[in-house]
Amino acid sequence: MDIVVSVKTNLDLQMIRIKNREPVLEAIPYKTGDLDKNAVEAALQLRDAVGDSKVIALTVAESNRKVRETIKEVLAMGADEAVLIVDPALESTDQAGVARTLAAALQKIGSYDLVLFGEGSSDDYSGQVGPRVAELLGVPQIGYARKITAGGAGVLVERSMDEFIETLEAPLPAVLTVVSEINEPRIPSLMNIMKAGKKPTEEWSLADLGLDPAAVASSCETLSNLAEEQDRKHVMLEGGAVDQAAGLVNALLKEGILGR
Amino acid sequence: MEKVDCIIVGGGLAGLSAAYGLASEGLEVMVVERGDYSGAKNVTGGRLYLSPIRDIYPELWESAPFERPVTRELVTLMGDGASTTLELASDCFATAPYQSYTVLRARLDQWLADQVMEKGGMVITKNRVDEILVEGSKVIGIRAGADDIGADVTIIAEGVLGLLSSKVGLREEPLARDHALGYKEILELPSSVIQDRWHLNEGEGAAHLFMGEVTKGMMGGGFLYTNKDSISLGIVVGMSAMRERKEKIESHTLLDAFKELPQIRPLVEGGTLVEYSAHAIPEGGIAKVPKLFGDGYLMVGDAAGLALNALLTVRGMDFAIASGFYAARAVADAKSRGDCSAAGLAQYEQSLRSSFVLKDLETAKDIPHIMENPRLFTHYPQAVSGLLEKLYTIGPHPSQKLSSTVIGGVRKDFMNARTLKELYAMRKI
Ligand SMILES: Cc1cc2nc3c(=O)[nH]c(=O)nc-3n(C[C@H](O)[C@H](O)[C@H](O)COP(=O)(O)OP(=O)(O)OC[C@H]3O[C@@H](n4cnc5c(N)ncnc54)[C@H](O)[C@@H]3O)c2cc1C
Repeated sequence: MDIVVSVKTNLDLQMIRIKNREPVLEAIPYKTGDLDKNAVEAALQLRDAVGDSKVIALTVAESNRKVRETIKEVLAMGADEAVLIVDPALESTDQAGVARTLAAALQKIGSYDLVLFGEGSSDDYSGQVGPRVAELLGVPQIGYARKITAGGAGVLVERSMDEFIETLEAPLPAVLTVVSEINEPRIPSLMNIMKAGKKPTEEWSLADLGLDPAAVASSCETLSNLAEEQDRKHVMLEGGAVDQAAGLVNALLKEGILGR
Repeated sequence: MEKVDCIIVGGGLAGLSAAYGLASEGLEVMVVERGDYSGAKNVTGGRLYLSPIRDIYPELWESAPFERPVTRELVTLMGDGASTTLELASDCFATAPYQSYTVLRARLDQWLADQVMEKGGMVITKNRVDEILVEGSKVIGIRAGADDIGADVTIIAEGVLGLLSSKVGLREEPLARDHALGYKEILELPSSVIQDRWHLNEGEGAAHLFMGEVTKGMMGGGFLYTNKDSISLGIVVGMSAMRERKEKIESHTLLDAFKELPQIRPLVEGGTLVEYSAHAIPEGGIAKVPKLFGDGYLMVGDAAGLALNALLTVRGMDFAIASGFYAARAVADAKSRGDCSAAGLAQYEQSLRSSFVLKDLETAKDIPHIMENPRLFTHYPQAVSGLLEKLYTIGPHPSQKLSSTVIGGVRKDFMNARTLKELYAMRKI
């Protein structure tokens, strides 16, 4: 079984500060999408369960530097090969553009039985890319997978639907997106990290995929990206701890936060 | 046990410098760093002396993410109620090639890690080395979590305290008396404000040190370095001085008090705190430098005590980078001769001895002892400011002759037996 797992590199959100209401994005380290790691883990487990299979990690980015380390991490976890789509034109793409790029890459890869995604990315969390790729490829898709079993004519998937669990079957090839409860992604060993750099890695540009930069240009324009502004009340409570506690209770009562 | 050519414990400047050298030579190198990324938790005051290391990896420095070249040097001697500031504006410091730059470790270390990877070296972050594996007298590799990994040579670059290396007897257990403690804040300020406040031309930087009251008279001092759009403000205090002080004081409160001083407040006004850190500093001098190499291992940077606090100059980063460079050369040579025993690696110590690293530490060998004298941080800053205060004072009574004020002050504060003895001892510095 050939399994392609799509991986997104995003900024380490915990490292981002807000200054004058705007995020400071300079010198923030990159990180593999959290749910993407669940997808990788699911792919590795399926590969090992089915046998005679391979896992290809696929990623899209505007520069090699951005994805170099995250792809290495995924290869270190156990993916067999990597395909990087790197093109400066991808700097200003959107979910539709990424989906078009991925679909074209999958067509170029040629043989794939399963394509796995996280249900959403750690930064934008739009949850669009997986379903869009399935549409573009014209293959069945199942979202929110919490359990994947290969068998019969295709895959058997349990979907996590909050209130209930739905079990679906799909023929191959198919596109699946996974939720975090599906597994605990493995942490690669040091030696596997060392070896990851030597695994086969292909790098393609948009031109290699026969895509025009215009095809991936974003159809949305960001007008502003501002942190919410909160007015602080600036109340200073005077006195010792006992007086301050009483003052705090009074203030909370007055605001209607206590005693409702 | 799986094996690589060389493992480096710790991805600070010393470890990364060694890795860069080795990777450039085509050796297989694995740096293991516990931080989220190189530089994440590394602390420095803020100034890298580039002059001593400019010829080491000359190709690197052009693109290094330095903050500002230091073109203005200031030092303030703080007495109780009066302080004296000396300022040196030197054409020599203000002309390229600049001798020193302010730096931010989060940027510098990450950048160096990138350079290592460009050369094919592997920097593995978010992984802690738990143990240095020793067989007989030979270091054979490391244990990290469930992984045991062997190496022909292990370079120990774990930084100050050397907890892993002292555990297996490669150096002494760290003692408080050989270390100082540093606290530091990075405060963001617009670069135009920085240039205005420190009277700097665009892109130039200032370094300002403080002695005396700032540490409540304990061994140590305060520092302020200007970065591109932030300042690094901190305080360093000897661990023994803290311990021995009669009225106990929580060391971290010194930094808060420093910021509140009337001389400092206007300088930091409006700054946004973006980073706070605390870190130990080796202050033992050459006497505390451990054995630098042995069968299958080398020690570099702070882990080897290669740092020098000479009051007006604080150095460790240049020593870290240089020791990493010489370590890489020694390992590459040893590998090519197929001899990674102590004898095969001995070249490392020889090259440190003939470079500034051990030479400067040797020259400064009496400094740790002299700095133990608390009067350096109490009496002297006070005496200098006291004397100047007198000279500048016009009171209601008829003034003394200028000369008698000076002579009287000098006699009282500097010409007594004790002070003369101390000043005489300082000739060794
Ligand atoms: C407050 C302060 C001010 C200073 N001012 C200056 C200055 O102005 N100029 C100057 O040149 N020097 C200055 N120094 C000294 C200088 O910062 C150090 O000498 C320098 O950082 C040493 O580099 P290093 O690589 O040896 O150690 P470090 O930078 O400490 O690197 C050690 C690395 O090893 C990692 N590590 C440790 N243990 C493990 C483990 N078990 N597993 C994996 N990784 C591990 C750590 O995470 C760290 O990244 C100052 C130091 C301090 C604290």
